[in-house]
Amino acid sequence: MAKDIKDLGWNELIPGAALFSFTEPVEDVAEVPMDERPYAPTNSHQYSVGDWRVEKPVFNRDLCIDCQFCWVFCPDLAILSRDKKMIGVLYDPCKGCGICVEVCPTNPKSLLMFPEQVDNEEALSKWPQKDEKKK
Amino acid sequence: MTKKIKNLKEFSLSNDRYEGGNLMCPGCSHNIIVREVLNATNDPVIVATATGCLEVCTAVYPRTSWDVSWIHIGFENAAVAIATASAAYEVLKRKGRLPEATQKMVDEGREPKFVAFAGDGGTFDIGFQSLSGAFERGHNFMYVCLDNEVYANTGGQRSSSTPIGAATTTSPAGKVSYGEKMMKKSMIEIMADHGAPYVAQVSPSKWKDLVKKVQKGFEVKGPVYINAQSACTTEWKHAPEDTIEVSDLGVDSCVWPLYEIINERDEHGIIYSTKLNITYRPKNKIPVEEYLAAQPRFRHLFKPENRHIIDLWQKAVDARWEYLQKREEAGV
Repeated sequence: MAKDIKDLGWNELIPGAALFSFTEPVEDVAEVPMDERPYAPTNSHQYSVGDWRVEKPVFNRDLCIDCQFCWVFCPDLAILSRDKKMIGVLYDPCKGCGICVEVCPTNPKSLLMFPEQVDNEEALSKWPQKDEKKK
Repeated sequence: MTKKIKNLKEFSLSNDRYEGGNLMCPGCSHNIIVREVLNATNDPVIVATATGCLEVCTAVYPRTSWDVSWIHIGFENAAVAIATASAAYEVLKRKGRLPEATQKMVDEGREPKFVAFAGDGGTFDIGFQSLSGAFERGHNFMYVCLDNEVYANTGGQRSSSTPIGAATTTSPAGKVSYGEKMMKKSMIEIMADHGAPYVAQVSPSKWKDLVKKVQKGFEVKGPVYINAQSACTTEWKHAPEDTIEVSDLGVDSCVWPLYEIINERDEHGIIYSTKLNITYRPKNKIPVEEYLAAQPRFRHLFKPENRHIIDLWQKAVDARWEYLQKREEAGV
């Protein structure tokens, strides 16, 4: 592609064209981790839906037990997990649905929703304490 | 080659071949199902998608969310498109004319998998004749129906999958009506009666069950039908974060029993034996009322004049659960 897709006007796009996921052929996609793939500008990976959110999930590493529930149930691949360890939330694909918070099994939860304008560090300092079990 | 997945941590080593940044609603089950299905194997996958939410939102020009070979095809013919791709592959393989990279993978025992995704509109109603035809001819592919019980993409019209009492835009609930009048059609039995070697119902919230069934489906030769429960935040009207909870309620109340039907059939389509297995039994079978209460599309059923529909629901679900258990016991 000669021009970057971001610089193209709507009338310069070719309707009905095949879209390429990568800039060069990738032989075995399942073996290549996401951050090593040569994503093409036409891949939605390069696109941000982060502005859909009203609230964002904030991740607290200290409480996480790496159960990976958030990874498997995240509809938008916004949970970054490497080598069986949960690393964090990607805020570009995250639409703020809150499933990750709902399925988090720790007490207190290691993922919580905070308003979009709150800083992550500020959110971490406001983390709730452990709930005592009700008898 | 079957991918070894012992637990969720091992599963999380999978490299997704489906991308974020797509335009599905926040909290949509479709994405979860597609991810689980694609991550169930490391072999190359070829996907066809019928018109529906999944197709519309993952391929908004000029962007694509698929890292696998993918084709968008009409409502009617997703099954035919994928069956044709599968047949073309068989011919190329027989003639030894596969591309080098593919041939290498096939030699390693990593045969490409053919998967079609379609919504319940594209499966139960519009795509049924081509689906039936492809199953009758016995091509080697998997058909996954993302069953959200409504035409969600076009504004929530009823489909033949919509269950009794649900309010949709073409079966609205109000003073004179309690919503949809018919119980949903039993697609799984219909597909099993086509002589498909493997047919199953899955729920995204039970990921291990889903992955196991998909892997089984990839292994058998012949057409495979998977009916996936897909909670729809927009049309079932629950909060986006409750998707998994609602799915769980559906499974635990036996509204969505998780089971599989295995047909032993030969290449002429003769069925020698049929076996039904229930793969998940809820420890405490919860009343259907709880499942209905979680979804505002059934809100009107809780008015005194509509209460009898909830009783009807419970009766229908109990009868069905009883039927499945009897079939499993009898081994037919």
